[in-house]
Amino acid sequence: MGFPDASKDLSSEMEVDAFRRLFPLKYFERHLAEAIRPDGRPLGKARDTTVVLGAVASANGSALVKIGSTTMLTAIKMEVMTPSLESPDEGCIAIDFHMPPICSPIVRPGRPAEAAPVISKQLSDTISSSGSIDLKELSLVTGKAAWMAYLDVYCLDADGALFDAALLSAVAALSHLQIPAVAMNDDGKIVLLSEDDGQKKAQEPVNKEKRNLTLRSIPFSLTCILHKNYILVDPTAEEESIMETVVTIALDTSGQLVSLYKPGGPVLAFTSAIQDCVALTRQRVKELKGILEEANSTMQVE
Amino acid sequence: MAGKGGSAPATYSPSPTVQKKKTSIFQEDWVRPDGRGFHQCRPAFFRTGAVNAASGSAYAEFGNTKIIVSVFGPRESKKAMMYSDIGRLNCNVSYTTFASPVRGQGSDHKEYTAMLHKALEGAIILESFPKTTVDVFALVLESGGSDLPVVISCASLALADAGIMMYDLVASVSVSCLSKNLVIDPIFEEENSQDGSLMITCMPSRYEITQLTFTGEWSTPKIDEGMQLCLDACAKLAKIMRSCLKEAASDSQE
Repeated sequence: MGFPDASKDLSSEMEVDAFRRLFPLKYFERHLAEAIRPDGRPLGKARDTTVVLGAVASANGSALVKIGSTTMLTAIKMEVMTPSLESPDEGCIAIDFHMPPICSPIVRPGRPAEAAPVISKQLSDTISSSGSIDLKELSLVTGKAAWMAYLDVYCLDADGALFDAALLSAVAALSHLQIPAVAMNDDGKIVLLSEDDGQKKAQEPVNKEKRNLTLRSIPFSLTCILHKNYILVDPTAEEESIMETVVTIALDTSGQLVSLYKPGGPVLAFTSAIQDCVALTRQRVKELKGILEEANSTMQVE
Repeated sequence: MAGKGGSAPATYSPSPTVQKKKTSIFQEDWVRPDGRGFHQCRPAFFRTGAVNAASGSAYAEFGNTKIIVSVFGPRESKKAMMYSDIGRLNCNVSYTTFASPVRGQGSDHKEYTAMLHKALEGAIILESFPKTTVDVFALVLESGGSDLPVVISCASLALADAGIMMYDLVASVSVSCLSKNLVIDPIFEEENSQDGSLMITCMPSRYEITQLTFTGEWSTPKIDEGMQLCLDACAKLAKIMRSCLKEAASDSQE
C-alpha cells in the first residue's frame, strides 16, 4: 500500500498532522498498540465531566454538562395541561433533543442532524423505562389539571458521546427541578402563587410550596467503541467517525440494566465484549453519581 | 411518555400575564427597571473559543441577553451554487425554546437572519476566500432585550476568532425612544413599550456604518441625538471587543 513506513521518524509537526488526516485509522492504531489514545487518555478512562445546576435562571430546572468538549444545556419549563382520560392523575414529560447549527460543522440550518431524533427517542425511552419518575407526582387536580414538563436538551458543542452527556444533563436538570407553588383561581385556571398576594384567600393552594421531584434509581450511561480487540471508552467525535462500532449501555444506580444500544457496525459484539462494557459502565455510574451528588449539594448550600 | 397520541396536548403557562405598565413611563421620574441611566449600556462580557467544534466562536452576555455564535469555514460552497470569484456569507439566527420567559413565545424573529447577513456583509473581505462559504450561526440562549445588536457584535468577534479577514470589527447598539426619552441598550420590557427604535451597526475605527435601522416616529433632532449616542457606544464596545481578543491571544501564547 502507499502509506509511509510506520517506523519512519515523523520529525516535523506538519507530517504528524498530515498523517493524522490522510491515514486516520493507522494513526489511531499506532496509539492503541501502546494502550493510549491521541489525547493521552488510557483506553478505559472517560473525559473530565462537570455538572453545573441552575444554568438557566428563568427555567424551573436546568443543568449545563460538559464531558470533555461535548457541552449540553438542558432546561425544564413547566406548563399546565388537562390530563388524558385514561390517566387522570398523571402528568407528562416531553423530552426533546436539539442540535443547533452552532454545535458541529455537520449540522446545517433547516436540515436537522441525523443523530438528533435518534438521541431524542433514546432519551425519552431511557428515562421512562428506568422508572425514575412517578408521573403521579406531576398531577395537580385529578382529572382537571396536571403538569406538563417540557425538557429541552440543547447540544452546544458536539465532540462525541452525545447521548451520555444528554442523559446526564437531563437527569441533572430533573434533580434540580423545583415545582412551583400554584393555586386554582375562580376561572378554574392554575396560576402561580406569589408571596405578596393579597387575594390568596380566594384561591385554594394546590401545591402548598415549591417542592422537588423524587427521583428513584437514576439512569446513567456510557458509550464505548469496539475496534478489533480494543474497547475505547467515551469517544471523541474524531474517534466515532473513524471507528464506527458504538455500544451504549445505560445502568441505573441500583445496578440494573436500563438499556443496551448497539446500532450495527462492522465489529461483532461477543458476550465477553458486552460484559466488559457493562463492567466499565458500572464504574462510570459510580463516578457520575458522585459528580451529580456534589453538584446538588453545592446548590443546596447556596 | 412523550408519545401519548399523535397531537401534543394544549398547555398553558401558570405565570401571571405581563401587564403593560405603559402609564408609568410617562411619569417624570421614571427610572429604568435595572437602575441604569438613560445613556448607560449594560456591562458587556465576551469570551472567544466557546465552541471547540467550530473554526471560531464567541459567547456574549449583556445583562440577561446570552448569545453563542459559531463560525465555520471557509468551506466548500454547496454544489448547486454557481461559481463565484468572491466568497459567500451564510447566516442563521435561532432561539432556544427557553430563551423567552414563556416557552415558545417570542422566538419568531426570522428577519434577524437577513439583518445579520446585511450587517456583516460590508465588513468582511469576501475576496479573500473565493469559491468558498463562511457560515455564521447564532443561538440565543436567553433573550433579555436588544438581541440583534448583541448577536451582530458577538458574530464579528467570532469571525475574528476564526481568522476571517475583515475591514474592521463590527459593533452594534440600539436605542429606544420612550415618549420623550431616549434610552440606550433597552431591555425586554423597554422594547415592548417603545415608540420607536434605532439600531446602528458600524465599524468604529473607520467611522463607517454598515447597517442602520429605524422604526417608529422620529424627529430630526432626535435622530441626531440617537445616532450620536449609538456611535459613541459602538466605539466603546469595540474597545471591549478588542481587549477580549488580545486577552485570548495572550492566553494562548502562554
